[in-house]
Amino acid sequence: MTSGPKYSDTRCGKEIDDSRASSVCKGCTFDGLPAIFSFNIIILLSPYYASNCIMKVIALAVSCLLALSAVSAETCFNDVSMDCGQASNSLGLPSCNAIYGHFSRQGNVANEMQAYANLHMRRSYEYLLSAAYYNNYQTNRLGFSKLFQKLSDETWDKTIELIKHITKRGGSMDFARRSVQETVTRNSTIELQELESLAHALDTQKEIAERAFYIHQEATRNNHKTHDAEIAQYLEEEFIEDHADTIRNLAGHTSDLKQFIVQNDGNDLSIALYLFDEYLQKTV
Amino acid sequence: MKIPSLVLFLAICSAAYATQCNVNPVNVPKQWITMSRGCRDSVRRQIQMEVSASIQYLAMGAHFSKDSINRPGFANLFFEASKEERQHAMKLIEYLLMRGELTNNLTSLIAVRAPERKTWSSGQEALEDALKMETEVTKAIRTVIVNCENDRSAGPGQDDNDYHLVDYLTGEFLEEQYKGQRDLAGKASTLKKMMDRHSALGEFIFDKKLLGIDI
Ligand SMILES: [Fe+2]
Repeated sequence: MTSGPKYSDTRCGKEIDDSRASSVCKGCTFDGLPAIFSFNIIILLSPYYASNCIMKVIALAVSCLLALSAVSAETCFNDVSMDCGQASNSLGLPSCNAIYGHFSRQGNVANEMQAYANLHMRRSYEYLLSAAYYNNYQTNRLGFSKLFQKLSDETWDKTIELIKHITKRGGSMDFARRSVQETVTRNSTIELQELESLAHALDTQKEIAERAFYIHQEATRNNHKTHDAEIAQYLEEEFIEDHADTIRNLAGHTSDLKQFIVQNDGNDLSIALYLFDEYLQKTV
Repeated sequence: MKIPSLVLFLAICSAAYATQCNVNPVNVPKQWITMSRGCRDSVRRQIQMEVSASIQYLAMGAHFSKDSINRPGFANLFFEASKEERQHAMKLIEYLLMRGELTNNLTSLIAVRAPERKTWSSGQEALEDALKMETEVTKAIRTVIVNCENDRSAGPGQDDNDYHLVDYLTGEFLEEQYKGQRDLAGKASTLKKMMDRHSALGEFIFDKKLLGIDI
């Protein structure tokens, strides 16, 4: 214990070549509590140590205390303390990540978030095709096109936001992931008439909104296995609020079109669709 | 089975005929629609390629956003590239619309598939991969140009040489491709030099530079 082997680890700090420091450290690690006290005294009495060295030895000592007092081994700090103490060329530090709570560990909140990003991406490109369809020379409804373009842009931006948020929480993005809620793949037809296309968009927005409810429910449900307050509030703030507006707007549009169709024996229809498209051009 | 087939029947009918909810489709002269089939189909394939590139760039952004990778500058670069690719697809769609196309077969225009690649060993590798991808896109645009410049299968009244589209692709798309490739190649070179002896620090500093932070 007195020979003081040269301590070297380039990642954790400067080289320590001090017999007392390293022997104390070893004492702490292998011989137990008493050595920590003697080590603390050494620090108090010896301002002579280089600060870097002291910092490291303190860290080691504290980690020893933590290891003795707490059973939980899965902390980043423990990883650092253990791995830096070994003169090897690799640092594992498996617990030094952004994962906390149950995200990516238990339940399917992380998986559902990946699937939610994928859902946004697919719907975004479908909306883009609808926007294109309403901008061809035959349909020529620029207002409808604008409406679908806006839906496409919004869902596209949300795709990127979701991917960023998944990685913020220590997860990674899986582009093949599907939700457990997704039982049958809807075959989406793009070439739809005006009212049909609004109906389709309304259904799609409800699908997106209800999926948010589902993930939210997983993140808040009572068994605490998947509770994740951060995901719940993120969904509320960034998704759920906006969904109500979008759905209400689309539902309102279908109500208006319904009126135009049934009244005056349907004679208003062609002018009504034209005017409604003009209205959309000005308001979307 | 009755109800779904009825819905399908109605859906098919409504696409072609008027119902109480929509107006009769009309016909206006079509002689002005002169894109040949071969040219149109190559542009359609190019749109799919731009969409696939946008998704591949999303995967790159996702990779560099991870906590274990932690390169927000690279992530930003690739997320922006992803948006640009989507805009390229939109520009080509807009072009086809201007030429009287995309009145049908919309559904098969774009397929959203998971990206081929998901991880990169370094920022350097990702930049070089992006450069490779852009080179392939450039090659594909040249193929579209060739197909539209000399379409022997063009029917009567169709353009066997689509001057305007060829000009548009050459002037706008190829120009952007070459500029983008030069930018990526420059970044890859600078990063490679910085990585020469100080790989970890080099990539860290380059990443912050991409974020616009001087350190
Ligand atoms: Fe592109």
